[in-house]
Amino acid sequence: MSALAWQQHLLLLPVIVPLLTGALLIPVNEKHHQRKYAANLLSTLILLGCALALFNLSDKEYWPSGIGVYLAANWSAPYGIALVADRLAALMLMLTAVLALAVLVFSASRWSRIGVHFHSLFQFLLMGLNGAFLTNDLFNLFVFFEVMLAASYGLVLHGYNVDRIRAGMQYITVNLVASFLFLIGVALIYATAGTLNISDLGARAGALGHDELSLLKIGAGILALAFLTKSAMWPLGFWLPTTYAAASPPVAAMLVLMTKVGVYAMLRVWLQVFPESGGPLAGFGYTALFYGGLLTILFGGVGMLASQTPGRIAGYGAIVSSGTLLAVIGHGQPDLIAAGLFYMLGSTLATAAFMLLIEFIERIRTPGASLLAVTMEAFAIDEKPEEPVGVGIPGTLAFLGLAFAACAMVITGLPPLSGFIAKFSLFHALLNPVSGEPGLQAWALMGLVIAAGLAGIISLMRFGVRTFWAAGTVVPPRLQLSELAPVAALLLLCVGLTVLAGPVTDYLQRAADSLHQPGRYIERVLGEPVVPAPGANGERQ
Amino acid sequence: MLLPVLLILPFACSVIAACMPADARNREVWLAGLVSFGSLIGVASLFPRISAGEVIRYEAAWMPAYGLDFVLRVDGLAWLFMVLVLGIGLLVVLYAHYYMSPEDPVPRFFSFLLAFMGAMLGVVMSGNLIQLAVFWELTSVTSFLLIGYWHHRADARRGARMAFTVTASGGLCLFAGVVILGRIVGSYDLDVVLAAGDQVRVHALYFPALLLIVLGALTKSAQFPFHFWLPHAMAAPTPVSAYLHSATMVKAGVFLLMRLWPVLSGTEEWTWLVAGAGVCTLMIGSFAAIFQHDIKGLLAYSTISHLGLITVLLGIGTPLAMVAAIFHTINHATFKASLFMAAGIIDHETGSRDMRILRGLGRHMPITATLAIVASGAMAGVPLLNGFLSKEMFFAETMLVGGDTNWWMSVAALAMGVFSVTYSLRFINVFFGRPQVELPREPHEPPRWMRFPVELLVLLCLIVGVLPALSIDQILYNAVYAVQGAQMPAYDLAVWHGFNVPLAMSLAALVGGALFYRLLRRRFNPDQHDHVPLIHRFSGAQAYENVMSGLSIGADFLIRLFGTTRIQPQLLCMIVAMVAMIAVLGLPSSRHLADPFANLDPLFGLLLAIGCICAVAAAWQAKYHRLAALALLGGTGIVVSVVFLWLSAPDLALTQLMVETVTTVLLLLGLRWLPPRITPKELAIEVPRSVWLRRSRDFVLAVVGGTLLAGTTYAILLRPATDTISDFFLLRALSEGGGTNAVNVLLVDFRGFDTMGEVTVLAAVALTVYALLRRFRPAPESLTQPEQQTNPVDPAITQTPGKQAWSGYLMVAGVYLRLLLPFMLMFAAYLFLRGHNLPGGGFVAGLVFAVAIILQYMLAGAIWVEGHLNLRPFRWLGLGLITACATGLGAWIFGYPFLTSHTLHLDLPVLGELHVPSAFFFDLGVFSVVVGSTMLILIALAHQSIRSHRQPGKNAEPGTQEAA
Repeated sequence: MSALAWQQHLLLLPVIVPLLTGALLIPVNEKHHQRKYAANLLSTLILLGCALALFNLSDKEYWPSGIGVYLAANWSAPYGIALVADRLAALMLMLTAVLALAVLVFSASRWSRIGVHFHSLFQFLLMGLNGAFLTNDLFNLFVFFEVMLAASYGLVLHGYNVDRIRAGMQYITVNLVASFLFLIGVALIYATAGTLNISDLGARAGALGHDELSLLKIGAGILALAFLTKSAMWPLGFWLPTTYAAASPPVAAMLVLMTKVGVYAMLRVWLQVFPESGGPLAGFGYTALFYGGLLTILFGGVGMLASQTPGRIAGYGAIVSSGTLLAVIGHGQPDLIAAGLFYMLGSTLATAAFMLLIEFIERIRTPGASLLAVTMEAFAIDEKPEEPVGVGIPGTLAFLGLAFAACAMVITGLPPLSGFIAKFSLFHALLNPVSGEPGLQAWALMGLVIAAGLAGIISLMRFGVRTFWAAGTVVPPRLQLSELAPVAALLLLCVGLTVLAGPVTDYLQRAADSLHQPGRYIERVLGEPVVPAPGANGERQ
Repeated sequence: MLLPVLLILPFACSVIAACMPADARNREVWLAGLVSFGSLIGVASLFPRISAGEVIRYEAAWMPAYGLDFVLRVDGLAWLFMVLVLGIGLLVVLYAHYYMSPEDPVPRFFSFLLAFMGAMLGVVMSGNLIQLAVFWELTSVTSFLLIGYWHHRADARRGARMAFTVTASGGLCLFAGVVILGRIVGSYDLDVVLAAGDQVRVHALYFPALLLIVLGALTKSAQFPFHFWLPHAMAAPTPVSAYLHSATMVKAGVFLLMRLWPVLSGTEEWTWLVAGAGVCTLMIGSFAAIFQHDIKGLLAYSTISHLGLITVLLGIGTPLAMVAAIFHTINHATFKASLFMAAGIIDHETGSRDMRILRGLGRHMPITATLAIVASGAMAGVPLLNGFLSKEMFFAETMLVGGDTNWWMSVAALAMGVFSVTYSLRFINVFFGRPQVELPREPHEPPRWMRFPVELLVLLCLIVGVLPALSIDQILYNAVYAVQGAQMPAYDLAVWHGFNVPLAMSLAALVGGALFYRLLRRRFNPDQHDHVPLIHRFSGAQAYENVMSGLSIGADFLIRLFGTTRIQPQLLCMIVAMVAMIAVLGLPSSRHLADPFANLDPLFGLLLAIGCICAVAAAWQAKYHRLAALALLGGTGIVVSVVFLWLSAPDLALTQLMVETVTTVLLLLGLRWLPPRITPKELAIEVPRSVWLRRSRDFVLAVVGGTLLAGTTYAILLRPATDTISDFFLLRALSEGGGTNAVNVLLVDFRGFDTMGEVTVLAAVALTVYALLRRFRPAPESLTQPEQQTNPVDPAITQTPGKQAWSGYLMVAGVYLRLLLPFMLMFAAYLFLRGHNLPGGGFVAGLVFAVAIILQYMLAGAIWVEGHLNLRPFRWLGLGLITACATGLGAWIFGYPFLTSHTLHLDLPVLGELHVPSAFFFDLGVFSVVVGSTMLILIALAHQSIRSHRQPGKNAEPGTQEAA
């Protein structure tokens, strides 16, 4: 094998393209915001193309087992840094690109024009996200987490006001501490196992002695704390609702995805290093993860009931979905992962769409009217029935109402949108384990998910009724097509997920199956040959 | 293919209807009417096949992996409900055309109505359980939207919320129930499930599944104790009440019980749950109906009691009871829909629905009055009307199962019969007598076609009542056959069965009802009482409101207790988690550790001790003495740097030293703009005990955490070096990385990809700081100048920093520092060039370069420096990143992966042989980014001083507040 096939380079583009775009845009003056926007858009479209190509290549098994490996700097794993694209990574790349595209188009008319360097930071954020999804190296994962976080610090503060500064302060501090934990964890793991490559780590972990194992567990545990802080597990996730509620809508939409990165990292690292069965480390931490997930669902559900503002409701909704995913991973049942991934897709898209919607909702909300409505609900006052003639709803308001309803349906898991399908597949997998009867854990998870859904219904309905129905005559806001289209597109994707539930779940099942075979990753990553030096027989190892 | 078309058509037309203009009343009606009429014809065409006992199925793959297909399935029962949904839908559309005011925005109305029609068809046609749950919730959603149609009214909003909360919760229960049922059977397909009754009833999960499914059905059909939502749902426009809340949607619950009857019924639990709820509902509903003032309220409670009747029949569980249940479902739909429409006509033509003021309407609207009276007769169970037949079957069944032991069932049935006669009388009373109060409008007959639906339905009541065998027999047979299959009971739909007990009960109910009505009017005039006697205290609606506000308050309390919005508790949680993690996982094996002080070099120990003391002291001082804390932090940094040197890592030591220098200076610059913190001592405040306790706790935690981490580190260091990948780096650094400095080769070659990410982080952070500080205004209290700079004796205060450095008191320092600049730059270049082989490299060189610039700023102020030097930090940043990236991409041209390094061997005339590794250019990029980001942060901080003079009331010269 001599030169690399062009398909190999596709693995790198999701990292390099946003880096180059972001770098190019730094010196460009904000006066040229149109050009900056165009460059940003082009880059995001390229990312979408890349993600689609990778999606196709990994699913068509262009590479053995559908796992593509890219050895950065031409050093073989585990010495150099390996990027790995499997079905799951390709899916996450696609989700990132789709969401980024929607958010970018949304912010074109307003948010990207206030403040400076929005576009550069946005591209760096994409770089960090994509890198975190692709890398197969723990320290490199740390680096990409940092890229993502550094960019998000800037974005959370974007368009700043007192709220954003206060929330940003919390967000940055908590994440810095989490990064320290990450670093400590990686250092301990490296010192114990002598490697940073995740697949290699899985391969070596089995051969460690007793003392080393306990050190490795400490390292992995501290690492998990970092991941769990990002995925907002109770009691590590208090920062989330505050940050979501304060961030500007497009940034909040991207934050929704960032919360999922913690879950993704958990999935990737845990399933490879601590498989559910086999080896001395089998099953480590799963129980804690499961019960942590349950508590998180509970906390999120209660939080939704207690919240009155849309940002906080969405934040607690995101906590519920994080908790569900953590519990799903912790339950340790292979066929549950596919259902969990389906759930994640829908909830990410819908919560992000909801975050964008909040922008419009804030434009129509009249605090006085909704306060009156709250009081009347509290005292159950019945007005004298007025003349039974309806009030016309202008087109934009009707759109907002419908979009809100759709978001609420996906978030709470009401049929017919993807949230329901996700819950069905979760319950089906929970109640139909491959062997034996569903245990108490399965029932507890199912009950909590339903209860959290009900809490969401009550909370979102309360909010929706107050906003869209009780607010009296509201002046329909002026909305631009570039703001409406992304919201509509995200929701249409949720509809698409419902209609195409069959093929999508099949794909996710293949992705989950592959995750549960760490041996394949070890084989693929450690076996990937380097490109030999020209002419020389001094082949690099 | 007919089935999917039937299902999709209403949804598609719903979208079309929504897009029509607000005043397109006629078009909307035509659209909705044609859809229902066409679909009705389609359904009717299936009748021969259904009568032949065929089950028509349509299947499409949906989620085969989960055993879930999209299945539409029509048998006799589904067919019957489809006809109900479409037929009454058609009449309601026609009726709504006249009922809705011209100002009403009808597109929304018809759009929701059509969507509901589709959802309801979906429920009855569903061929698998999950799909049924989907459409089930859809009917709840559309019902919510229709109840809230007049959403500017508080009662509509309240009714909509109540209905939705109850029915959606029930829907969730149903969902869970059918998933469990699917688990028991092993399939969600209805045909498979229906055939598995025996297997289901003995399964351990039977009761949970039954309970959840029944909960779903009871909430939907407004059964006790969830019946309270239905009267509040009457805030909807009357066509909606007629359609959803009497004829179709509330029947979905009983439909579900009928559908799953072969699977779930026939057990003790079933009877107790279903029949028990039904009996309660029937009594409460019929009793409460008597005391309503609103016509629609009366009809709503009557609906509740009739649904209770059907539920009781289903709960009884005999085959004949099932026949009666289905029969009564049809009958109730016809007479109740017509009654609601009549009520709507009264409301529409008189402007009131209050039975206390409505009198003598028979004179003004004789035809409507006749129709309503006939329909009420059906409701009361008057012979020769359809209600009589099914009610008689009901009496017969209660007698049969009741016998001597369960005699209460017969009593309840009779009481319900009496009450229903009473409220029917109360209702028709509005047509008689003479009006006492002026009505809002002069009553008159409605338009011809508004009355038509009522006429048709009443005609049906009569036909079925007089000629049941001819009219309804086959339809009923199909439906019952669909449920019971082979065990078809023998039944006789005749008007006259001879004198028997049920007939006696019917007559007794009629007579008793009339007497009870007279008694009531004499002794307890319902018109003069606002509440239902006996049961008004048990208000479900009030309980609902209490639960909702309780949930909200309770949740708020819990969130305060178990959550926080503050940063300190959050950090506490994280640190506690870390400490717990180490303690739980590490302490059990900690006894293997050797004594750490055995072979300690005293000097090294002292060094570490200094570092520790500095760190602890920094934390101790951080709250009130930031400057001291910062200095102490710098001390720790220096110690770390010396430790690196001690352990033979000069490269790290050098970098650490530079990083410490630059960050400390930048932090100090930022510190200038923070308002001072005054210690409690200075303010003469006593620190509260709780605060003291909290700080002590934090201190203990910090010490414990630090000790545990140190212990872990120590444990790691004690381990013998096993096979790690680090040897590889040392071995290959020169031979393949082309450099003798393994650290630098690691940074730019082995793990150059990491470095590229790190510099991006640096760039992002710099951009963030710049964006944040660009418009930042310092707090007012930190604007005042330090004392040293305001002393009038000092001539320097009149000079700008630039002047001070040029000719003022800083002249000596200025000359030296400017002289030093080229040397520092040279030193940076030196460090950069030797980096690949000896300690140095792009990162540290960039820092040295930045220090050189910082010195100039500190000396002469931002204005002077920027007047003489064009720094352009953005270009440094952008170009640096692009250079690093482009170097990496260069490898692509030669067919190698990103960042593969290559060393060029040049033979230059004077310099001799020169090795130019590609990593050199990569390092150049790193250098550029480091310089750019440091300068950007520096500029962002330095410009605070230039900007702050714009504050009103300040007349200091620009730049005089230069920090440090």
